[in-house]
Amino acid sequence: MAIPVPTLTTPAPLWQRVNTGDAAVAVAERAALGTSARVAVWPPENLDGALAAVDDVLGALDRQASRFRQDSEISWIHRGDGGLFLVSDGLAEAIGVALEAARWTGGLADPTVGQALISLGYDRDFAAIDPARGEPAGCPAPAPGWEQVRLDGPLLRLAADIRLDLGATAKGLGADRAVRAAMTATGQAGGVLVSLGGDLAVAGQPPLGGWPILVAGEPDPAGSVGIQPVRLASGAVATSSITCRQWRRADRALHHIVDPRTGLPADGPWQMVSVAAATCADANAAATASIVAGAAAEEWLAWAGLPARLVTHAGQVRYAGGWPETDGGRITIPPGSHVYSRARPGGLR
Amino acid sequence: MDTDRNPPEEEMPPPRLAGSAPAAGWVRLPGPGDAAAESRRARRDGVRHVRRMSNWTAAALIAGTGAATVALAHHAFPVSAPAAGAAATTGVGGTAITNGAGGPQVSHPVATTSGSGVAVTTQTQTVNGKTVVTQVPRAASPGS
Repeated sequence: MAIPVPTLTTPAPLWQRVNTGDAAVAVAERAALGTSARVAVWPPENLDGALAAVDDVLGALDRQASRFRQDSEISWIHRGDGGLFLVSDGLAEAIGVALEAARWTGGLADPTVGQALISLGYDRDFAAIDPARGEPAGCPAPAPGWEQVRLDGPLLRLAADIRLDLGATAKGLGADRAVRAAMTATGQAGGVLVSLGGDLAVAGQPPLGGWPILVAGEPDPAGSVGIQPVRLASGAVATSSITCRQWRRADRALHHIVDPRTGLPADGPWQMVSVAAATCADANAAATASIVAGAAAEEWLAWAGLPARLVTHAGQVRYAGGWPETDGGRITIPPGSHVYSRARPGGLR
Repeated sequence: MDTDRNPPEEEMPPPRLAGSAPAAGWVRLPGPGDAAAESRRARRDGVRHVRRMSNWTAAALIAGTGAATVALAHHAFPVSAPAAGAAATTGVGGTAITNGAGGPQVSHPVATTSGSGVAVTTQTQTVNGKTVVTQVPRAASPGS
């Protein structure tokens, strides 16, 4: 059943109800941010209010941080080709979270990889990329470095050669904002789960034992999928994978997780890393950093103290930080956020 | 519960001078000494009154606080043990245990964490009690 949600600007795609088999929760899904958004709530009657709130959050985030929209705030900044900019509170928060993620991960998740992605051909919405264009990719463009970006409240100073890409944190930030907004819209009653392209956050009271979710990889050539059911009672889980956004330039296979040090797609041993954390932005950044860290990922995750599930290219699964190794196990979330510690939290849009 | 103390000795009225009894029918006007004594008496009575009131107020506050604590504790902690996993986020960067009636029983997966899900959408369904995951190619979608 499609649920029309009124908006004042461009109509958002309609939500489609998803029947998961449990009448105690209501689930809906729609396209968003170049991927899909899914919302699950209980009690089910809270769904309409939650969807309207999530629509507002997703629309605002897209207008702030999408580098594929000409009318977005970040595109406006990039057209300025360097200088001092007064940005909205919402974009300031998004950039602040990205910079804190970069600091926390030692630059593994760096928001200044925008030009590197453009050089590789990821210069438009992924769905619009020709997956097998004949011309080669551009020259590798190592990231200028997140330390070059200056953010003081709403004042952003950006050098002319820097293009920001907030992909390592933006979906997580969006999920964090969305669950907060949904809980506010529903009067803090019940519980809510929001997934943005597989990065999901929960808030409020969870179902008994936690929200049942799946960790799933992309299908292998035989069509089989490695999945693990787990339970999430609080916090967030995010997954980064090099297999889901791939394209080719000449004879070279490329993907969207770029090593800031080289400007090339990360080539570590992991095809997919899932990380749990107190917030989805933390989990999002940690998952991306783990892919980039390669062989050092497990060591970094141990230092960060985060539960994680890592899958090698051969399909071998490794667990870290107390991630449940049995199906249906509950993920224990360590408290505290690293990426919101200095960035301004609190529902900014 | 009355813990009033007697006024200290120095607050007692001074003894009257001897031989100063008034004649019959004559009413002595209140002099400075009488006024001081009256003032001391009034102050002593007032202090006693205030002390008594303070004691009652303190008792009422203690009783009220105790009752409020019991009431809040009753609402905060259910008689039955909280459900496993009954935790809730309390905002950015924080988690807290929520002790309440507990959420509903939910058996089937409601979402999937995976890669960004552009190439395929993961659908889950239950067939004969077993969870089946299907990867469905997605059409191009607008957005960032």
